[in-house]
Amino acid sequence: MIFQFDSIQQMIEMDGHGAYVWTAVVVSLLAMLFLVLKPVISRRAVVEEIFVELEREQRLKTNQSEIG
Amino acid sequence: MNWTWFYRMGSPKWFYQTTSKMLPILLAVTASLLLVGLVWGLGFAPQDAKQGNSFRIIYLHVPASLLALAGYFLMAIAGAIGLIWRMKLSYMVMKCAAPLGAVLTFIALFTGAVWGKPTWGSYWVWDARVTSMLILLFLYLGVLALGSAFQSQDVANKASAILALVGTVNIPIIYKSVDWWFTLHQPSTIKFTEAPSMHPDMFHPLLVMILGFYCFYAVALCLAVRVEILNRERRSQWVRDVIGQADKGNRGVFR
Repeated sequence: MIFQFDSIQQMIEMDGHGAYVWTAVVVSLLAMLFLVLKPVISRRAVVEEIFVELEREQRLKTNQSEIG
Repeated sequence: MNWTWFYRMGSPKWFYQTTSKMLPILLAVTASLLLVGLVWGLGFAPQDAKQGNSFRIIYLHVPASLLALAGYFLMAIAGAIGLIWRMKLSYMVMKCAAPLGAVLTFIALFTGAVWGKPTWGSYWVWDARVTSMLILLFLYLGVLALGSAFQSQDVANKASAILALVGTVNIPIIYKSVDWWFTLHQPSTIKFTEAPSMHPDMFHPLLVMILGFYCFYAVALCLAVRVEILNRERRSQWVRDVIGQADKGNRGVFR
């Protein structure tokens, strides 16, 4: 296996095809990053909601036991 | 025959707990495969004799297209299982597979367009392969839209599942389009019945990328389904236990 380019500069240019190849790479990786980050972000929101619900129920319970 | 394994697999709790253990490993495998495949394909694979360096787009274009097609089958099968056995988890998988497949189809179309410019002289041609892929994108978007078009979750699930099943007609059409019609798109690089039409030095990095994309698909789908499970099962005790155990500072993705 040999590195096909003489330098990194040449790898970026790719004999004039660099713009096409690197655009394809960057856009694809961004789209894939989006697919992973989207559930991570929405998970945070759902967990937060459930956590708030749990805390409220806990408060209600302690309040009731104080009154009772 | 004992069917308990099948019903256990349909339990959201089982899915959630199993993926909690698997995801970190799968994520590491995915990242390494994609990194190795990209560096190998972009830097070390030999140039194409006719297309020069622009052919290197194949290392994203073919895996994304393959997964867009395979993902459609997965979505349709999940819909069918939902219709037949009324499994909640199955519908959740179907729902999460729709945006995932749409993005992969977009990647396939986009990388195809930037590959088309230096090779065919145009970003877009109404070629049989390209057009049938565009229809695939619309099918994915249709399933996505139907899923949120009804008040009742049950009706939405059924409607999406039926559209997903009807749409599978398009998959063999996409696959065979380069043989059935006279297309500008080159014939398939990888065929089920023949050896690949590619030199092994170019083909091996492509295989690594395809494996990497399969793993990536599994990771992305699991992450999305897990959120869907937490959201829909939030009243159940096991979800409350999972969330309750985590304190404010420690609510990692893999819990």
